[in-house]
Amino acid sequence: MEEDIDTRKINNSFLRDHSYATEADIISTVEFNHTGELLATGDKGGRVVIFQREQESKNQVHRRGEYNVYSTFQSHEPEFDYLKSLEIEEKINKIRWLPQQNAAYFLLSTNDKTVKLWKVSERDKRPEGYNLKDEEGRLRDPATITTLRVPVLRPMDLMVEATPRRVFANAHTYHINSISVNSDYETYMSADDLRINLWNFEITNQSFNIVDIKPANMEELTEVITAAEFHPHHCNTFVYSSSKGTIRLCDMRASALCDRHTKFFEEPEDPSNRSFFSEIISSISDVKFSHSGRYIMTRDYLTVKVWDLNMENRPMETYQVHDYLRSKLCSLYENDCIFDKFECVWNGSDSVIMTGSYNNFFRMFDRNTKRDVTLEASRENSKPRAILKPRKVCVGGKRRKDEISVDSLDFSKKILHTAWHPSENIIAVAATNNLYIFQDKVN
Amino acid sequence: MEFKLEAHRIVSISLGKIYNSRGQRGGIKLHKNLLVSLVLRSARQVYLSDPCPGLYLAGSPAPPQPGEPAAGGGGPAGCQALGASPLKKPRRHLEEQPAGAAAEEEEEMETGNVANLISIFGSSFSGLLRKSPGGGREEAEGEESGPEAAEPGQICCDKAVLRDMNPWSTAIVAF
Repeated sequence: MEEDIDTRKINNSFLRDHSYATEADIISTVEFNHTGELLATGDKGGRVVIFQREQESKNQVHRRGEYNVYSTFQSHEPEFDYLKSLEIEEKINKIRWLPQQNAAYFLLSTNDKTVKLWKVSERDKRPEGYNLKDEEGRLRDPATITTLRVPVLRPMDLMVEATPRRVFANAHTYHINSISVNSDYETYMSADDLRINLWNFEITNQSFNIVDIKPANMEELTEVITAAEFHPHHCNTFVYSSSKGTIRLCDMRASALCDRHTKFFEEPEDPSNRSFFSEIISSISDVKFSHSGRYIMTRDYLTVKVWDLNMENRPMETYQVHDYLRSKLCSLYENDCIFDKFECVWNGSDSVIMTGSYNNFFRMFDRNTKRDVTLEASRENSKPRAILKPRKVCVGGKRRKDEISVDSLDFSKKILHTAWHPSENIIAVAATNNLYIFQDKVN
Repeated sequence: MEFKLEAHRIVSISLGKIYNSRGQRGGIKLHKNLLVSLVLRSARQVYLSDPCPGLYLAGSPAPPQPGEPAAGGGGPAGCQALGASPLKKPRRHLEEQPAGAAAEEEEEMETGNVANLISIFGSSFSGLLRKSPGGGREEAEGEESGPEAAEPGQICCDKAVLRDMNPWSTAIVAF
């Protein structure tokens, strides 16, 4: 697939050296809103940056709706839990948009412990002509007021402001890994390692616990929850994935506590692939419903799998993301890369799936044609308007000119977070502290 | 013998990860530590079930024994990790001696250390939780240091196990 490139680099670090990245700038989540007009990113420093797509103008046909910074705000700050003597990281784990219901935009952002509802709104008028205050806002001496006037709204430079409207705190003992907005737009869930809570947007001091897999005796702990998501259309249905490579589908109508699943998805293990690290690589790092609601996609360390909701005993499709790493699991364990949590995304029509890899590579799989492509998000290879060239990893034997060998891969450059526009072929790829936005080529 | 070496190395690396996770910002990550403990358990079972008497695994902590062949490269690095960690004094109550461990006093102590650590950390998850940090531990950021850090791309050969082996005897073939 040929791609146009429009690169936006977000780097607030003091040193402008491109090879040096402050840890706080590392992007930790990327999400388009429901129309694709807005793109939100969260970073390790607790900041949220929202991009807005330019309106397409008839004069500039070639500038096809590029994304510019719309709003930046500090969502979460580092906190300290005095009771446990633990610092709570401000890193934004997930951002989820609410569908737009009025002129303002709403999104949920979460760190390890606290979910916040943010309202992002525009202000382009301000009132002038108060009676009791002067133009700078200082109180006027009442003795000097001799006339009354009606304040009027005058236009001003557009200002985008973000305000925290709700703070949902103190409901999670373990680290929150997922949030998901329900299709009823009134509730959402937050999932940590062992529990899932259901919230109403209006109520911040209570939540329902709908899944609890904490064993009575922590010594018996064998699996944790790794991701959770609501069904896109059925507000009673959700799925959650586990570190054992299983997915459970639950129906909230069945009981208040959804400890018993309605469906259980698990693929039998291939005994020939057994190693010390089999359990780690089977742990699911992300689960996503298709837009149609008929399929779920899961990502584990080496593969992406598509499951049919009606078939629980094995996935419908399995795609190898970077199978050449299978022989390197030991060293990936040593350098901690084996614990990397890659996400996966569907395109708008559910025909293509995308996920990240190392060396700033990301992969796309076309489910219909069964073709796949490896692309790279890097500054050297990406000039604006340039076409992305497919990349190839050489797995052994002779290396062709353009190929890169497995041993030359840079494991510090990993693409964990990607997003796909809901209806168009526009993708956002987060490579450490850089955000790349690619669009389909305009003919 | 190679299996035991490699399993020992994996055990040391895993213990190092668990230890370092105590000081990480944001607290202990349950998921990662669970996965590490699973690896630890597998490696421990390989280590204990591999019948290999007289294997000298000592690194710097113990003086070299005359007549004992020095172990391969995996040993010193692994033991280094153990020696560096300020773990509590190993209890002399050893549940499992490595099968057929030699009667040499120093060697027994060496493998005894490892067996102890394995039994503390590997046998139950509560071993993990008992190592919860106290106050003042929070500020250490970043990855674990020292021997655990390997260059990316360094190959540690793991091949799939022979199919007819008991799955829990799965081993990683060293080099």
